[in-house]
Amino acid sequence: MTTIREEMWKFKGILFNFAISDLKIRYRNSILGILWSLIEPLLLLGVLFVVFSSMFRFEIPNFPIYLLLGIICWNFFKNGTLFALNSLTNRSALITQIYFPRSIPGISAGITASIMLVFELVVLTIFMVIFGFIPTYTVILLIPILALELVLILGISLPLSVLNVKYKDTEFIWNIVVHAGFFLTPIFYQFDMMPDYVQNVLQFSPMVQIVTMAHHVVLYGTLPSINSILYAVGSISVITVIGYLIFRKYQAKVVEEM
Amino acid sequence: MVDYAISVKNVSKKFTLYHEKRDSIFESATSIFQKKRHSETLQALDNISFNVKHGEIFGIIGRNGGGKTTLLRIISKIYSPDSGSVDVKGTVIPVLALGLGFHPELTAITNIYQSSILLGFKKELISKRVEDIIKFAELEKFADTKIKNFSAGMQMRLAFATSVLVDPDVLILDEVFAVGDLNFQKKCFDTIMSFKKRGKAIIFVSHDMVPIKNFCDTVMFLKDGKIGNIGSPEESVSAYVDYLSTQK
Repeated sequence: MTTIREEMWKFKGILFNFAISDLKIRYRNSILGILWSLIEPLLLLGVLFVVFSSMFRFEIPNFPIYLLLGIICWNFFKNGTLFALNSLTNRSALITQIYFPRSIPGISAGITASIMLVFELVVLTIFMVIFGFIPTYTVILLIPILALELVLILGISLPLSVLNVKYKDTEFIWNIVVHAGFFLTPIFYQFDMMPDYVQNVLQFSPMVQIVTMAHHVVLYGTLPSINSILYAVGSISVITVIGYLIFRKYQAKVVEEM
Repeated sequence: MVDYAISVKNVSKKFTLYHEKRDSIFESATSIFQKKRHSETLQALDNISFNVKHGEIFGIIGRNGGGKTTLLRIISKIYSPDSGSVDVKGTVIPVLALGLGFHPELTAITNIYQSSILLGFKKELISKRVEDIIKFAELEKFADTKIKNFSAGMQMRLAFATSVLVDPDVLILDEVFAVGDLNFQKKCFDTIMSFKKRGKAIIFVSHDMVPIKNFCDTVMFLKDGKIGNIGSPEESVSAYVDYLSTQK
């Protein structure tokens, strides 16, 4: 891991350069520009709210904020990993002409997603003001929780970016995982609504734990349970280590596959 | 001991050629059960050694697919060699084929920043020189135009201007004159000569034998990944021409 850190320090200028230019390229030729990154989660919020509060009559207190918080956590994960997926293939021209560490595009995708996350958190704050919801001091813990999520994103992004160069299937498989994951994460329901045997399996999902912890510190004003912290840190460590090993195995040959 | 700017020792590189490239996991999995061989190895470079002194213009000639671009990519660290070592003093700028890896959706200025930061130059230094780069490339009107709207010649001019004005220690030029107009070619020649005077090493690849004979101090002829000849321009060019006539 030390080599990656040293390289990042040397190339930190380009990390942000990549992240910003990714945003610019993403919203080029669009009139609303970066606003699209806010419209999308808000439309999803509207649909989920209408469906689950009127049709299914879920009795979750502060449901709009509950929903938006879940959507924001999930979007961060979705954006980070999906941007990273094509980060190397999109830069094939650059990679075959200039040497730079192969980890940079994947990590800068994480930064791009973080920038979008900040915008979305501003919207969450506006929502809290509109609904007159005042969180307790525990809300500050959302920062380490999202930082932990960023570690998870990078742990998945790096192997995805190199695997997608060699196997185009990676893209399709990961899209399915992201789709399924949305429904298997307590975004529009509460985790304990699930039957026990489902809970026993899904508790190993790092995103389930992260969203649950976010709900605790923002909405309920309680500290996350020790169980949640252990499961989240444990599963994220395993994923990140395996991801790094895959990345290290494939990164040297990545240019030759392009 | 002579102090070399570039020293390449016993570099070899193999590529695997897939006849039917397997791109999906399913194809990879099913191929295990098939006896047929899908790949063969191509020895792109075989035991290449040479040195380039400071202030030397080193030419490389050879047929298409002879290993020239592979060698340039190994010198600029884009590929890693299977065996052997490459030692380069200072910063290298590879101007390979077209551009410096410019992104078509970004403007000329943004691309100058992106490429030169990647090549290891400080942002402050680039800020100071960005105007000169645009001026040298004669692209004042197009500084904020996206690269995708540039012609091949304009892209090459921008790449060449960027690479000489950030002032690297070693310059690698792959077919830079193919697309520039006469006026710009003259400018390139002058710049290359001033680089030489300041003791910088230049690797020059071209299919046009006239500049090779006029400018290079030493020329290497690459024959199917092996060294065909290393020596004076006249020697190597005639070895190359002889080789071409035996091929017919």
